[in-house]
This record gives sequence, C-alpha cells and structure tokens, in this order.
Amino acid sequence: MAQAKSIDELSAVHKQVASVLQSKFGRKFAESSTFRGELTYVVAPEDWHAVLEFCRDTEELQFDRLDCLCGNHFPEREEAPFEVIANLVSIPNTTRVRVKTRLSEDQSLPTVTDLWPSAGFDERETWEMYGIGFEGNPNLTRLLTVPDFNGFPLRKDFPLQGTVGGRIRWDFKGEI
Amino acid sequence: MEEGSAFVGIADPRDPREIRDLSAAFKRPSPIELPQTLEGDEEHVPGVLTTTLDKIINFGATVSYWPLLFGLACCAIEMMACAGPRWDISRFGMEAMRASPRQADGMIVAGWVSLKMAPRVIRLYEQIPDPKWVLVMGSCATSGNIWDTYNIVQGVDALLPVDVYVPGCPPRPEALWQGLEMIRKRIREGKHGYDGMHTIPIRAAMGE
Ligand code: SF4
Repeated sequence: MAQAKSIDELSAVHKQVASVLQSKFGRKFAESSTFRGELTYVVAPEDWHAVLEFCRDTEELQFDRLDCLCGNHFPEREEAPFEVIANLVSIPNTTRVRVKTRLSEDQSLPTVTDLWPSAGFDERETWEMYGIGFEGNPNLTRLLTVPDFNGFPLRKDFPLQGTVGGRIRWDFKGEI
Repeated sequence: MEEGSAFVGIADPRDPREIRDLSAAFKRPSPIELPQTLEGDEEHVPGVLTTTLDKIINFGATVSYWPLLFGLACCAIEMMACAGPRWDISRFGMEAMRASPRQADGMIVAGWVSLKMAPRVIRLYEQIPDPKWVLVMGSCATSGNIWDTYNIVQGVDALLPVDVYVPGCPPRPEALWQGLEMIRKRIREGKHGYDGMHTIPIRAAMGE
C-alpha cells in the first residue's frame, strides 16, 4: 500500500511555483517557508509591487485572484513592527501563494489596485486598522469606523476597553 | 324525488351507489326573524358591545404586532428561531415581520449596534408610524455587553425610547417570547416607551 502523503509535502504544482519564483527572485526573498503545503515568501517593500506583478502576469504562475490582503502588528519587532500579507490564488493552476512584507512605522507601500481592483477595499481596511499607507490607492477613507475616529484599532497598543471620549462620540447631525 | 326538480348530490365515498340528496343545504337561507322575537324586549339587544375606540384598536394591535424585519448580530438567529415552527410566534400574529418600517408596529433590536449602524437604526425607528413599541433583545443592545469598545453603542436606550429589555447572550426564544408578551400587555394598556418624552433620547442629547 502506498504511503499516505504527508500534509506538509508540497504538491507538484506548488513545487513548480516555488521553482519559478526562486529562479526569478532567489536573492530578493528575505525569507521563504512552507507550512502544510503552502508557500510563504517575505519580500522587501521595494519589491512588493514587482513580485506581485510577476505572480500575476507570468505564464507559469497566473495568480489571477487576490484572495485577501491584510495587515498585522508585532510590537516586539523594533525596526519593522508592521506586516502586510497578500494571499494569491491561481484559478487555472489551482495554486496558492502567500507574499509578506515587513514595514516600519510610517513606511508606506505602493498600491496593487492596478493589478487587482479588489485590492482597493483590502488596502482601505488595512490602512484604517493599522495605519499602513498605500501610495496610489484612489480612495483611502474610513470605512468601518466613524469619520472623525482617532487611532488605529487593530494595533496592539490600542486600548481594548472603553469608548475613547464619551458614550457616543460621533456627531449625528446631518446623519439622521 | 320528483321528476325534473333541481337535484344537487354528492357521491358517498364509502358506498359509491348511494347518492345523498344535499339540496336542502343549498337552499336560500331564510330571513332572520329577530325583529319579531325581540319585539317589546328592551333589555336584551344582541350584537352590541360597548367599548372605546382606543380599546378596540389596542385589542387589534395585540394580536397583530408586526415587528420590523431587522437583525443586527447573533441574537437575530434566536429571533429567527422564535419565528420558526418550533416557537412559532405566528400564533400571536407576530410572524409577519415587515421588511419596510412603514408597515411595522415596532422593532426588535437584536444585537449590538455599532456607531456606524446607529444612524440607520434611528432612521428606521423614526420611519415606523406611531404608535410603536421597541423590544431590546440581548445584553449587547441593552448595555453593550462585553463590547465595551471604540465602536459599539453602550446601550440602545441612549438612542431610542425602549419598552422592554430581554437579557441574555443570546436570550432563548422563550425569553424573547416572554418579552413579546410584555409588549402585548403594554399595547393592551396603551403604554409606550416614549410616553412623557418630547423627543427621542438621541435627539434630546443633540439638543433638538
Ligand atoms: S447579546 Fe450575545 S448573542 Fe446577542 S448580539 Fe450580543 S453577543 Fe450576540
């Protein structure tokens, strides 16, 4: 009987993705790892747009869908506490890849709305929740919090409790 | 049976050969002979019920309280269960949850109200025609529950006049049912959450 396949083993299509990406950007990846058959690469913020564009447009990869783009905050990492993560899906090849980049406070990223228009909402939310700027995003305005909100709620140093500044802070005039 | 008379019949399923004559049941009803029997009787005038218009309207409203079809969070799942066949609030004329505030008699605020949602909740409330009754369902809508955070209204009573609070996280459908019974009691008694208010609390807070 054939040995059961380990869940950590890369499938053949993902091995192909890994070899294409390694041969193109080998030295530029700060880190690469696999977990349960999924590929993760960490790139520098300068290469962010180029790597994602390569993933979308190369014949062998064809990552035509941006599954999600989100942020993360690691206050213990002094120089680069912020992280932006893009999860890509290739519908023709049924492959996935995760691309990350690490940012310092006040550092911004180029937008990827020119590659996937759906990145607009994701970048907007990442900006709203972590304060990570995206240069070139056409509509970086508050979506889930009230317009006069102060602070970035998903940062780890944001207070967990208490409405900041009173019971109801938003002036409802003109809204109701 | 006479030859040529109108004959209405139906086949008896137990005995197909037997045809029963039902023409008597289709006879024109005879005119009611009340005037003759009540002649000279001053005391007993049947068919007249003395009441006030308010009472009869409130009685009608108790058996047709139509809440707004409106759920905000997890509590709405229990509200749906309550409307479903197991708890079945349609027994009391409440199953017709109206999707338009203009056809509703009140609202069940089921779930937390975020600050962005608050203006919409107020707008929906204000579009419900008077008289209206508000039931607040769950700890979130009552007091904010564990979400003592930047984006949640800490109690809907800061926005709207509330009739009944139902505690729980989430309240069981029986609890919501009891709350609706309390709403029915208030309807019968003609009491409203906004009695004695000039304007709703949020407008008062805004100085309007
Ligand atoms: S009271 Fe509990 S069940 Fe209801 S909305 Fe709040 S968290 Fe959800």
